[in-house]
Amino acid sequence: MKIPDGKRGKALSKKNKNPIPMEHAFVDNARFGLYLVLPAQVMLIFIVVFPMLSAIYLSLTQWSPMAAAGSRWYEAYKYWGWLHNYWALIRDKDFLLAVLRTVIIVAVVVPIEFLLGLALSFLFLDKFPGKKILHSLILIPMMIVPAVAGFTFYMLFQNVGPINAVLSSILARPLDIPWLTGKVLAIISIMIVDIWEWTPLMFLILLSGLMSLPEDQINAAVILGASRWQRFRLITFPLLKPVITIALIIRGMEAIKIFDPIWIMTTGGPGTSTETISVYMYKHGFKFLKWSWVSAGGILIMIIISIASIYALKPIRAKEEEQAA
Amino acid sequence: MEQKLYIRILKYILVLVLALAFFFPVYWIFTMAFKPYVEWTAAAGKIYWYPNNPTLDNFRTIFSKQLNMNAMSETAVRPIINSLIVSIVGTIIAMVAGVLAAYGISRFKAGGSLPFSLLQLRMFPPIAIIIPIMIMWAFLRMIDKWYGLVIIYGVVTLPFATWLMKTFFDDIPNELNEAAVVDGCSNLGAFLKVVLPLARGGIASTALFVFILNWSDFLIALVLTDRRWTTIPVHISKLQSALVGQLYGPKAALGLIAAVPPIVLGILIQKYLVRGLTFGAIKK
Repeated sequence: MKIPDGKRGKALSKKNKNPIPMEHAFVDNARFGLYLVLPAQVMLIFIVVFPMLSAIYLSLTQWSPMAAAGSRWYEAYKYWGWLHNYWALIRDKDFLLAVLRTVIIVAVVVPIEFLLGLALSFLFLDKFPGKKILHSLILIPMMIVPAVAGFTFYMLFQNVGPINAVLSSILARPLDIPWLTGKVLAIISIMIVDIWEWTPLMFLILLSGLMSLPEDQINAAVILGASRWQRFRLITFPLLKPVITIALIIRGMEAIKIFDPIWIMTTGGPGTSTETISVYMYKHGFKFLKWSWVSAGGILIMIIISIASIYALKPIRAKEEEQAA
Repeated sequence: MEQKLYIRILKYILVLVLALAFFFPVYWIFTMAFKPYVEWTAAAGKIYWYPNNPTLDNFRTIFSKQLNMNAMSETAVRPIINSLIVSIVGTIIAMVAGVLAAYGISRFKAGGSLPFSLLQLRMFPPIAIIIPIMIMWAFLRMIDKWYGLVIIYGVVTLPFATWLMKTFFDDIPNELNEAAVVDGCSNLGAFLKVVLPLARGGIASTALFVFILNWSDFLIALVLTDRRWTTIPVHISKLQSALVGQLYGPKAALGLIAAVPPIVLGILIQKYLVRGLTFGAIKK
């Protein structure tokens, strides 16, 4: 029997000490591996490939469930529109604003979560009484169901609510800040919820990164008389960089999807001023039933994210290959 | 390198303030759930910082059919059972496919680009693809059915299950199952009798982690369920009364019920939270 792939066979024969003839073992292993990944592959194809194809199909039409009485989705070709949806989308003010808003939210919350998390993780390097309890208290937000977090802050942000009350007692004058109904304030409120919920994750990642740093280098720097800032800039930061990159990517990936707290707190309002990509798509898909329009939007978003993901996933891929070697 | 005392005290105060700030919303929903009507209604016009007369009324409200504010026709019993069923079955689906795939990837380098396709899947906002899925589900008559929901849950959490399990399988030395194969075990036998028992702890942690993710979902259940199979988060969003508007108290009670399982389980698997959420890229 011939080994299908000479190179891999050779590499394998060094490690494999089976009494069974090598070639058999290799073929068996490959086949067994194939069976193992089969269910995952099938699920992926079932859920991703078919919906993708039908999304592309629908996106090229003008069909909607309301388009004509009784016309099914596969009859959408009767409303064929080529790239009209795409062309209209990239000139649609609401869609572009939703994309822009999402980018702004991600660009604001991720760095803030990172800096807060970094500060917290440095604070938690010291020993102090009640450290374990405080650590747990800080971790709780990230385990709260996001929809519940949204509702909690909905209560907190009411005009006659605790946040306004605390602020007015600090500033010693009555305040009536419309957190959820002001156009800009509503976005800030949403950012606050995201920061509250996900700073703990940054903190957890960075703390575990800091704790696994080799201590002798830092100690050597102390002996050599390096200042705190020098120690951070020249030693801690470079060593921590891979962890930081991964933390930022993971958080950025999830932040783009933001939906639950917004839907609970403002349903995209006032007007459209808190519509992010997900909220825009949900509204147009399930309130206005513009299915072909939303399909085109979905495809556009996926193209953008696919391009971004090639770069974003690079560090994780590199780490994987490094571990495999 | 001892720091000056006042710096240490300042830092300690900073930690306390931050921890309290992060904990305050949790405190708020917890106490809100036990406040009587007069303390949570907006009509009160003032804020009660803690329940003056703690009561279980809110819990009674969400579980009783005939409400004093005649707001809802449905109790929270179904949504709670629904949430449990779909989260557990979704977890089982993700775990079966994920454990197998992770072992294939970890030991046999099978699947080619599968691991990265899974990561990419995780990057896409689910909303981008939910309309075609809804059409597909309507076609297969799986809207508002538990099996319609669990299949999506299984796929959405599959990347986490696969990547987290892969890190656990990577930790088990290859020699162990090679030895089993030498002793006459088949590949399957070695996997079932040697590797799986060794990975027990990892499987349990991964399953709890995936359960938390499924339990926390809102968007997918919002789209794919209607009446019969709404989950807790969807039920919370629907809990309104025409008479008194937002039902803060009852909503907070249900929110508390939704919040407790992930917190308890999350603290239980704290060690693996970072590993899970970073797809194993950070292993501490």
